[in-house]
Amino acid sequence: MGSYYDIDDILSEEEPVTVIFRKPANGVGIDPSAEKNCVEQGSKVELPLWIAHELCQRDAVSVNVPACFDEKTRLEIQADPANVDLRSRSPYFYELGCKMAPITGDRTLCYFLFFAFRSRYKEVLTKAHTAAHVATPKVLSRLTNEEIDLYEAAQSSVAAFKKWRVGGSRFQPSSALGRKRRSTD
Amino acid sequence: MYGRKACQLVKETATGEKGQIKPFNDDMFNQVIQECCSHHLELQSLFRNMQEEGLDIQTTRNADFYGALIHHLSLTRNKRCLMAYMYNRAEVIRSLRWKLGRVLPEEISKKLSSSEKEYLKGYSASLDAYMNDINLDLTVDMVPPKDPYIQVRVLDDIGEVVLTDCSANLARYSMHFLKRTDAEPYISQGLMEELVS
Repeated sequence: MGSYYDIDDILSEEEPVTVIFRKPANGVGIDPSAEKNCVEQGSKVELPLWIAHELCQRDAVSVNVPACFDEKTRLEIQADPANVDLRSRSPYFYELGCKMAPITGDRTLCYFLFFAFRSRYKEVLTKAHTAAHVATPKVLSRLTNEEIDLYEAAQSSVAAFKKWRVGGSRFQPSSALGRKRRSTD
Repeated sequence: MYGRKACQLVKETATGEKGQIKPFNDDMFNQVIQECCSHHLELQSLFRNMQEEGLDIQTTRNADFYGALIHHLSLTRNKRCLMAYMYNRAEVIRSLRWKLGRVLPEEISKKLSSSEKEYLKGYSASLDAYMNDINLDLTVDMVPPKDPYIQVRVLDDIGEVVLTDCSANLARYSMHFLKRTDAEPYISQGLMEELVS
């Protein structure tokens, strides 16, 4: 759970999910197919996660698992985790998944997320350590925001390591220390 | 969709480069506040409906209640977005005070709203008071210096200045070997640049 002011947490909660209303609601303009300003019982509406989450906790809606966690994605991840474009599915793929798991009651989702992250983690680090700077944009376009942070962290640590190995710029002795000390006696 | 504008506002801070500030989006900010006002009105009218029907707001779970709930959630969501927008900007403003000093350059200060300028002034004042108390300038040497003296080139006519160990004529394009602590304020104002050998 991110902090109240966390921008990434706020943006991840804006991801749309499809919900089915179990209770009707009056005076709200969130269902584009409705004629009046209300939502009928049983109507299917796409809502951002922050509304869906709260309504689900109060049993007003039931939440469907979003399309980005569908069977096709799962098969692709199982086949070749590193080359699946998760960013186009959702830049907040893991955050969304972690928030969806408790409210959809889909137990396989957690294992799937864990598997996907673990297998991609190694690839992300390997690429960050070896890739020349020119090749980065193509790789980054497939990663989620969290993986991009990881990638950048890995690259900066490699850069720091290289600098350390070649000696880099070390502390220089102050010029005052280099002078010969005059005997004062 | 509810809360979309507030989210765009937050997204704006996320897309910018780290440590830099964008112009305060007054227009969008006010639109979100207006959206909040209309949520509030809707919320009240739904509550009024329930009261007119003689229902208890605390326990009833009818269509009016869920409508009101959605408006209430939207209100708190909008509030969170606005707060996050202000909070993250304030964080950048504080870091600018450390990096650029008491007075911000014109092109940055015009990006701040009037309340943010007030905030910067207050923050600056309390930081100054603290530094006076402990008698130490905390804003210099954010990175430990390798050498107390540095080679600098003057970029603008500054004129005759008395420094801690000597006085120097800082004419345009002249080069000097100065104490780092003397040169640092000029460098942060963009009047000098450090020559890196």
